[in-house]
Amino acid sequence: MPVDDFCSSIANQLNTGVLIVDLNCKILKWNRFLEIHTNKKPDDVFGKCLFTTFPELPQRWFERKISSVVQLKTPSFCSWEQRRHLFKLPHTRPITTDSKYMAQNVTFLPIETEGKIEHICLLIEDVTDVCHYQSMLRQTLDELALANRIDGLTQVFNRKHWEECLAKEFARARRYSHDVSLIMFDLDHFKLLNDTYGHQSGDMVLIEVAKHTQSLLRLCDLFGRYGGEEFAIILPETDLAGALDVAERIRKGIESLVLSYQGKSIETSASVGVAVIDERNKRYEDLISNADMALYQAKASGRNQVRSAQELTESAELS
Amino acid sequence: MTALNLNEDQQDCLQELINVAMGQASDQLARYLDTFVYLKVPSIEQVNAESLSTTLNTEEKGIAVVSQGFFGYEGIRGEALLVYQPKDSDRLADLLGYEPDELTVEEQIIDLSSILTTTFLNVFASQIDNQMSYSAPRLLSSGLHSVSDHLEQLSFNWDMALKVKISYQVTDYSFNCDMILLIPESAILNITTVIDRILDEF
Repeated sequence: MPVDDFCSSIANQLNTGVLIVDLNCKILKWNRFLEIHTNKKPDDVFGKCLFTTFPELPQRWFERKISSVVQLKTPSFCSWEQRRHLFKLPHTRPITTDSKYMAQNVTFLPIETEGKIEHICLLIEDVTDVCHYQSMLRQTLDELALANRIDGLTQVFNRKHWEECLAKEFARARRYSHDVSLIMFDLDHFKLLNDTYGHQSGDMVLIEVAKHTQSLLRLCDLFGRYGGEEFAIILPETDLAGALDVAERIRKGIESLVLSYQGKSIETSASVGVAVIDERNKRYEDLISNADMALYQAKASGRNQVRSAQELTESAELS
Repeated sequence: MTALNLNEDQQDCLQELINVAMGQASDQLARYLDTFVYLKVPSIEQVNAESLSTTLNTEEKGIAVVSQGFFGYEGIRGEALLVYQPKDSDRLADLLGYEPDELTVEEQIIDLSSILTTTFLNVFASQIDNQMSYSAPRLLSSGLHSVSDHLEQLSFNWDMALKVKISYQVTDYSFNCDMILLIPESAILNITTVIDRILDEF
């Protein structure tokens, strides 16, 4: 078999599109891959302008690309990561992927005849698979990143992520002398509930309390599970009066939640501590311990109530 | 390490080949880009894998690095890294002769990288009677993550590499970038053979 026949036989079996155009972008030749994927007859395409045959091509961009190949005599590339496809072609995984068109890597090669570039060869590779797996990977990474921030049971932020948020909000509030408030609340007699009805009832209560509390918050508030039956909320740009208002609404909301577990109705309540940043707070941990102290005070004064760190210091200063 | 050391003649010869290639490449680029392209005298040195990220000086955030592999006859191969500072990407589309809305900044950076790398290496290859092929250029990193973070995550299968750094300047567009050619250990020996042959013929 003559060498030329070898070449064209191989070119026709390649799983890559091969397209030859002249410098006026007239199509001269292609391989079987393109004939099949475009579903066009060579007679209707050869000798025709590339941009009439493939109106989807960005013509100006394409011509500038070709001019670099011709003038510099260097290959040029176009990756699916920047342009998912140049040619609108179907692909080989129409059933098991969600892409409409074949994702492509396209290479523009200068073809030199007697020292002059007169033709350009385009290689069109099907990378739909790569593209598909890459987007699946990205999706999985996003899900992982989310899972890393969320408490699996209650779907609010977990302790670690919540504390990172607090560190940021605290630093910002200090830098610009803005307000930031903290609410911490703890469900009353939670251990008794677990002991009476079992842990699954406790889990149900945690889920419902988190869901209801979330519905009372603004988008910018940061709600997390601090541990066990203790929750914490960062309220950016909120002063003491505003935070007390939210805290009271949360307390009332939890008190009036109608929950039932295996036919038995369950009542619950929460003790709430509130603290607002003041200039004595150097670290975000100071804010946490202030809110925690107020929460302890709410427990000590009979539970199901709201206390603020500020009223504690005031009464301490008075006595 | 000693096996890789180029002697003074070899170093001079390589420097000369690179200088000539730079001259021709900058001439071709100037004509294509329709503006003057200055290439600063290259630095040639050996680096080891551990110190690569520090020698690239890529600590700064927002830096973009494009990698493109090259390979020719006689085992000449390596990787070209194009390093861009964030402030230098503003007028790239203009420089390349595209409308800004025709392509993203990333694509502009990749496109220019490929042009700079292949133009220079094609001329360099013809100096040593060789011919280069190239892999598609890839954006290694840009935006938030610094490139040194990225490089530190890679494990290299080489210890020493020959590093050739060439700085490009396009003053009309106040644009700068660095091209860093890294030739791994095994390919340095091959390049030394080619240099020795040229020195013999000389």
